Amino acid sequence: MSSKRQLQKESTRKKIIETAYLVYSEQGFNATTATIAKEAGLSHGAIFVHFPSLDELMTCLIEEFGATLTLELHSLVETNKSMEELLRIYLEVLIKHEKFYSRLITERSRLPEEVRMTLANLQSLIAHHFNNVIEREIDKQTVKKIPVHMIFNTWMGLTHYYLLNKDLFSPDTPVLERYREDIISTFLELIKR
Amino acid sequence: MKVCIACGMPMKEVAEYAGGDTSKDYCIYCARPDGSMQSFEEKKAGMIDFIVRTQGFDEKAAAQLAESNMKKLPAWKECFE
Ligand SMILES: [Zn+2]
Repeated sequence: MSSKRQLQKESTRKKIIETAYLVYSEQGFNATTATIAKEAGLSHGAIFVHFPSLDELMTCLIEEFGATLTLELHSLVETNKSMEELLRIYLEVLIKHEKFYSRLITERSRLPEEVRMTLANLQSLIAHHFNNVIEREIDKQTVKKIPVHMIFNTWMGLTHYYLLNKDLFSPDTPVLERYREDIISTFLELIKR
Repeated sequence: MKVCIACGMPMKEVAEYAGGDTSKDYCIYCARPDGSMQSFEEKKAGMIDFIVRTQGFDEKAAAQLAESNMKKLPAWKECFE
């Protein structure tokens, strides 16, 4: 295959992934591949040239989403960040992807197992960053001596609660952006020594 | 920037490479005290412990999660064939 065709193939693949991200963000994971093809300006068949099955498309999409998030978090979380800085960075990254992330957590049980695993791995990675910071702050006696997993789960529970009930908390505007300061300051108040 | 072949972590700083050696393909968390890379079983046990400690998941679920993660990493490809 000529390199020009190779490049074109790559760019079509990228276009499909980007369009799928937008379509699923807006319509949820029930959206059809026909819709994605139409939005991407491609024939329906073109999608299956790149992704033989719907599961494959979803898995690739979540993996790329995970890789993006990993990189964004990792590049921002320098060593020696404080708990507050970590929470800010985490919400900053999530705010950028709020719609898509909300779909993932609300529709999780209906996603293929492979996709659910990829999502769980992404959350483990976030837990990894939290663990580094929490352990250091507990050592410095700036954070209460609560088991790391309970601090992490309390934070996840809090942010997910707002995301899952967005229609009640903020029907018209992104919910995390609106409540960011409340969420961060309250959580810090709860765990600080 | 390289990504650790054994756990997938991006290695941005020299200190994140095993033994601070940027010619290595694995990270500091995947190295044994002597600097060699951990075995499949060592890494898997370490990942399970870590998941249980940082997320509080059920041990069986944590094992499944660790395996699904390792399946995608170049260091463990042949362990799943
Ligand atoms: Zn590693």
